Amino acid sequence: MSLELFHSQVMPIRPKLYRFAYRLLNNEQDAQDITQDAMLRVWNQQGRMAELQNLEAWCMRIVRNLALDRLKSKKYRNTELLDKADTMQASHQSNPHLAAEQQDVMDRVHRIIHALPEKYRTIIQLRDIDGFSYQEIADILELTMNEVKTNLHRARKAVREQLQNIQVYGLQ
Amino acid sequence: MDYNKIRALLEKYWEGESSLEEEQMLRHFFVTHTQALPEDLREAAPMFQYFRLEQEKEIPQPAARIVPLRKSKPWQHWMKYAAVLLIMAGVGYSVQQFRQKQHELIAADWTQQDTFDDPEKAYAETQKALQLLSRNLNKGTEQMEKLSYFNDATQKIKN
Repeated sequence: MSLELFHSQVMPIRPKLYRFAYRLLNNEQDAQDITQDAMLRVWNQQGRMAELQNLEAWCMRIVRNLALDRLKSKKYRNTELLDKADTMQASHQSNPHLAAEQQDVMDRVHRIIHALPEKYRTIIQLRDIDGFSYQEIADILELTMNEVKTNLHRARKAVREQLQNIQVYGLQ
Repeated sequence: MDYNKIRALLEKYWEGESSLEEEQMLRHFFVTHTQALPEDLREAAPMFQYFRLEQEKEIPQPAARIVPLRKSKPWQHWMKYAAVLLIMAGVGYSVQQFRQKQHELIAADWTQQDTFDDPEKAYAETQKALQLLSRNLNKGTEQMEKLSYFNDATQKIKN
């Protein structure tokens, strides 16, 4: 792969890779490091480029693997993720009371999603936030399309049950 | 939008069978709908609102850093060169010391070799030295003879 090809095909997806890493790690510095490492790895494995069908999915897969390694090595605590929930911004509300209430609801949803197992959480993020197709998710996570749908169904079901608890019992 | 249509879309959504367009419609509905929702639709609203917020959330993008590979300058590795020089100096010094010692040993060997140029003189000197040796040896044997007398005497007494 020439430098031009790297610039034209890999560099444009860099922001996407960074966003993905950021969502997985919830840490700006770590996401930067992982993105940089992933770019290096792509460059070093340029020989494989020819046999790849989906370059973006391959890059995303590298980012995910690196991020998971980082998570394991650092033994991220769940609370680190939860702490971030406080910094989330709810949509603009003129009424401070309503805004606070909505912020609270958003924090709860954030906690529910981040409490999911990594696989479920990643699938939900890739589908519902990043807007990837089932096939793209299958490529990124090295699953079949049916497995993606099954896991997505289970992940959404888990979120739904938690949401129902909030709705009915006001439980967190 | 018709609530029943939303219900049908939601059903597909929970099953993991909805398309991206249908999911986009759901997000749009739950974000823009301002009136009170029917109870069965309320549970999904926060989730879709959260997704929309996350989509719109600005994640600080770091600028791509392309750092050109720096050519190393020769003086950047001065410690390496200094170490090599030091090792070479050490080895040189020890070789020199070794050779010097060898020379001294060889010189010492030379001094212990022939001390006389004239063979007759050397013969006379050797004879002198041997005579001295035999004299001293004789002295020793004389004493031993006395000892044998003593020994014979004790044997006779015993018998």
